[in-house]
Amino acid sequence: MRPLLEIKNLHVRFRTFKGELKVLNGVNMVIGEGERVGLVGETGCGKTTTMKSVLRVLPPPARISAGEIFYRGKDILRMKPGEIQNFRREISAIFQDPLTALNPVFTVGHQLHDVIKYLSKARNGKYLSREEIKARCIAVLEETGMPDSERILSNYPVQLSGGMRQRVCISEALSVAAQLLIADEPTTSLDVTIQDQILRLLARLVEEKNISIILITHAFGVVSEVTDRVYVMYAGNIVETARTEEFFSNPLHPYTHGLMNAIPKLTGEGIAKGIEGRIPNYLNPPAGCRFHPRCKHKTSICKKKKPPLFTTGDNHRVACFLYQR
Amino acid sequence: MGKYIGLRVLQSLFVLFGLSLLIFSASRVIPGDPARVALGPLATEEQVQELREEMHLDKPFLVQYYFWFTSVLRGDLGESLYTRRPVVTDLKRFIPATLELIVFAFLLSLIIGQTIGILAGHFRDSWFDGLSRLISYIGIATPPFALGIFLLLIFSYILNLMPSVGRLSLGLRSSPQITGFLIFDSLITGHLDVAWEAFKHIILPAISLTAANLAQESRITRSSIVENQQKDYITAHIVYGIPTRSIIFKYLLKPSFIPTVSIMGLDIAYLLGNAFLVEVVFMWPGFSRYGVTVMLNKDLNAIIAVVLVIGVAFSVVNLIVDIVVSFLDPRIRLQRKGG
Amino acid sequence: MPEKEFLVAALSKRKDDFLKRWYYFSRNPLSIVGLIVLLLIFLAAALAPYITPYPEHAGAFTNFREASLPPSLTHFFGTDSVGRDVFTRIIFGYRFSLFLVVVVLSLGVPLGIILGLVAGYYKDTWIEIAIMRITDIFLSVPPLVLALAITAMLSPNLLNQMAAVSLVWWPWYSRLVYEITTSLRQEDFVREAELIGASKTHILLREVLPNCTASILTKMTLDAGLVIIVGASLSFIGLGVQPPKPGLGTMIADGARRLPAEWWTAVFPALAIIIVILAFNFVGDGLHDMFAVEEV
Repeated sequence: MRPLLEIKNLHVRFRTFKGELKVLNGVNMVIGEGERVGLVGETGCGKTTTMKSVLRVLPPPARISAGEIFYRGKDILRMKPGEIQNFRREISAIFQDPLTALNPVFTVGHQLHDVIKYLSKARNGKYLSREEIKARCIAVLEETGMPDSERILSNYPVQLSGGMRQRVCISEALSVAAQLLIADEPTTSLDVTIQDQILRLLARLVEEKNISIILITHAFGVVSEVTDRVYVMYAGNIVETARTEEFFSNPLHPYTHGLMNAIPKLTGEGIAKGIEGRIPNYLNPPAGCRFHPRCKHKTSICKKKKPPLFTTGDNHRVACFLYQR
Repeated sequence: MGKYIGLRVLQSLFVLFGLSLLIFSASRVIPGDPARVALGPLATEEQVQELREEMHLDKPFLVQYYFWFTSVLRGDLGESLYTRRPVVTDLKRFIPATLELIVFAFLLSLIIGQTIGILAGHFRDSWFDGLSRLISYIGIATPPFALGIFLLLIFSYILNLMPSVGRLSLGLRSSPQITGFLIFDSLITGHLDVAWEAFKHIILPAISLTAANLAQESRITRSSIVENQQKDYITAHIVYGIPTRSIIFKYLLKPSFIPTVSIMGLDIAYLLGNAFLVEVVFMWPGFSRYGVTVMLNKDLNAIIAVVLVIGVAFSVVNLIVDIVVSFLDPRIRLQRKGG
Repeated sequence: MPEKEFLVAALSKRKDDFLKRWYYFSRNPLSIVGLIVLLLIFLAAALAPYITPYPEHAGAFTNFREASLPPSLTHFFGTDSVGRDVFTRIIFGYRFSLFLVVVVLSLGVPLGIILGLVAGYYKDTWIEIAIMRITDIFLSVPPLVLALAITAMLSPNLLNQMAAVSLVWWPWYSRLVYEITTSLRQEDFVREAELIGASKTHILLREVLPNCTASILTKMTLDAGLVIIVGASLSFIGLGVQPPKPGLGTMIADGARRLPAEWWTAVFPALAIIIVILAFNFVGDGLHDMFAVEEV
């Protein structure tokens, strides 16, 4: 079965005053149809950059210096503008902060209306009437469990609560996403009490529509509940990936161990330990394995060569020389 | 919303009242005898005394103010000590010319300034951006009267393209006056040649008047667009498939336009002020040149009237700008409601 | 001695701060150019009698044999209609412009700042209402118009011009500082100072004011250009520097009357104004960058 999305050896650099930041250092990911994938990593490791590369919305100082991204077998990075518009109808995204993801000077209804209007034109070849579009808007909002959808349409983003704003974004994203949804920390900026609701909503919708999802987060708890497969990213590299069950029962990469140990345990035993050191300076990243300065198990080869993803056991891959066979 | 407008109007009225008090006291506090100044050194003592009584100069200050204020409310701004005509007549004669000039200048700055700003913002760091930035710097640093002189020198004297004085060349019959706006009137009454002449006369003073504003606005719009281009919601719009055209002309433009509108009040203040200079340079027969004349002649009644008229105009403009801004940016409107 | 070490550490931190800020300022080459030009102009104006070729021309001087000469090697910018060297008069003219800037900014600005601090701190009391209403009144008319009117009603000379412009300028600063003060009033550090029992003066001057410095300094540099324009405008109309004194605006008015002949009598003073204002604006931009970084 051909994968839905395949990111191969993606390198992204950012141009700055001081030089080039080598942020993504050869990212490899595979997403299958209907698969629910979790992407974990700490802030600044390149998760959002990867996502923006896939969506082709990287800001100007960034450039893709190497790699390919295949969507249904076609390289997105080499698509012409017309093709890109099409593929925008199939992949969509939810952003971290719903307040900044909505245009503050237009009503929510206005923005949703336009999304649906252009979407239906692209899909059906003609524009729907205003009433039809409005009906679609209300329907799509209600799917997300939004109370009193019709009244919400005439509100401005600043008038809505965080949870409601995120529901609006979700409805925008889901109406567009036919195949793949990328959710970039969709609950991080929400109230704790709402986070759970929104996640469940996402999980349900994704399952109903049978679309793939890449859930970007730094919360393991979420990942363990909602995903089929996990990818761990560190400093611009994928360092481990496995099926979710396998991942939690048998984490392999030293960084993953560090992350797991950093989670406070519900039983209250032991103190959560942080990982020593800091994320690398992207201007002059460490040679070889980017994690080696912080790793307790480093050997001489780690400083010189970047470890590829070695396969161990059942579809479990680790980028660490400890597992070289 | 209505309550907000009402409150603002009340505030403006209070400020105008304070302004009238301020300017009136200034005129009575200055050294010298207004009556004597008005009549000149050749007038006899009886004539001066007569004028003094007419102006209530012998009475206490508050009484003077009361007399003056009540006559203003009746629409009588006193008599010009210089032309001996009611000030109101003079004002009515000269205001349309200035109004036309200011409106024209404002439209120029709006259209050209915004276009340049939008283009510079989209093609940032291109040669266009750099060039417009350079010209903006110079535009902001050039006093309007200096610019007027340069423009006159180049276009009028050297190139002989544009006329140099007044609203219309001598010997040309003007079209019937409807609004007092020469260009508009002549256009709608079909006198196209007159309209063209009027346009040629107005273009140089208008550019001098508004160049600094234009430059400033284009810079602000440009930064605004550059800043908003990076915003998350624009990325979201792109991702959700909204066509580029719609993004540029609607979703990016509206939030970027708001900072410009916010400074429009100040812009118009600038226009109102510098009209005094530009009208002198171009001998434009307007209210501001009248203002300069009465100031140089120490015509107190007229000076007070001029300041008041400008104060009123400015207050009205500020009110309109505030309303437009809160209309464009719902966040301001909603915060006011206590939300 | 621990106090001494503390003092040394504090001083070197200030030096570091200053160096860091200087770095950000200097990253903008235009700002450096502006600064150099400003320094040159200030120096030239200060040393005017000593460095100009014809210092006696800066005043009532006539020499009709040398009148209306175009620019040449002996008279860089030519001579005016009564034979005075334009270049010399421009350098002296800078004195008036710069002096006006110094006076207005050192009188008007502190007044405005103090009033703004007081009004902002005593918000919702009659003090605030009184001060801000007066500020509103002064701001209800464009500054140039008010300055014109005031100068016209007094007698038109340099002193009155300076007084009028200062009078018209302070309200902008009181409004600026008022807005910053009111937004800071609720902040913790102000509350804490109040709790400790610090005097109001201390709070205003030591806690609130430093937060306004960036905005004030930037505004002051950009205002310098505006003050010069207003001053030149007043002189141009005839209400400022009176002939035969060489105010830049006065010179332009004189030259404008004779256009297009003797264009150099109007053009060069105009260019002189433009250059000094450009310099102020470039420096202002650099200052803005310098302070903007701190907010990050």
